[in-house]
Amino acid sequence: MIRNKYVLFIFRLAVGGVFVWAGMMKILDPLDFAQSIANYRAFPRFLSFFLALILPWIEVFCGIFVISGLFKRSGALILSVMTGCFLLLIAVTIFRGIDIDCGCFGSLSSRVDYKLILTDLVLLFFSINIFLSPSRSPS
Amino acid sequence: MPDKGTKRKIIKEMILIISVSVCVGLLANISLIKRYFKGEFSLSFLSAAEFPVVSYITLAEAESLFAQGQAVFVDTRSEEAYQEGHVVGAVNIPFEEFDPGVLKEITLSYDNPIVVYCDGSECQSSTNLAKHLAERDYGDIRVFFGGWREWVNSGLPIE
Repeated sequence: MIRNKYVLFIFRLAVGGVFVWAGMMKILDPLDFAQSIANYRAFPRFLSFFLALILPWIEVFCGIFVISGLFKRSGALILSVMTGCFLLLIAVTIFRGIDIDCGCFGSLSSRVDYKLILTDLVLLFFSINIFLSPSRSPS
Repeated sequence: MPDKGTKRKIIKEMILIISVSVCVGLLANISLIKRYFKGEFSLSFLSAAEFPVVSYITLAEAESLFAQGQAVFVDTRSEEAYQEGHVVGAVNIPFEEFDPGVLKEITLSYDNPIVVYCDGSECQSSTNLAKHLAERDYGDIRVFFGGWREWVNSGLPIE
């Protein structure tokens, strides 16, 4: 577990920054994101739609909290769970042979492949460390 | 790991964050939600207002277009699936949902209606190709939603 507060701060900027940006891109075009979720062929239609409306806001709020330090641990835990679930979804999608655009950053998204898994594992590592870090830095 | 008091605090905060996100997300998209319940997105999430050139057609309409001989049929399934069987005269554009390279090779005529199909109602590649074609100024794109399966099950011409 990483304890160095400067390293942790870099983690917070990285995780927070990625999720705020990714969330905002999807808030701007919810239908495009809904179609991206539908592309995974893993959810019923209504769930694809409502997830598309709600997930980006969770990303933005948690991203802001992680950067600002307010609700830092809860925000990081939510993002960790989301990233973990998404990793599972990617694995299943690749296994099913479904070749799609991940939908992570709206129209700038990358393909669902092993590089994406690696990127998300790094994000997960950062988020978990932020969650495990103490609420206040030792004086 | 956090102690019990901290754990409860974190859980409360998580519930708060998610609840607020759900409320904001729903409120920010009230008009979309109304359109959803009116049935606008029952076949795809392509907004009809944004993509007026894309329409969804039934088997009967696809059959009629086929009989008239004016439309170009596009099969968006993989090359292997296409080789095994496709609508007579259909062109294969195996549309991986994210592959900008593929789009450079499209040489479809701009004058004819284009009928796009994939396997059936589960696959999304027909919708996704339709969206890309619309963005490239094709004027009349019809997504045959029932797809290959419905065509074959009705005994219509294949090769």
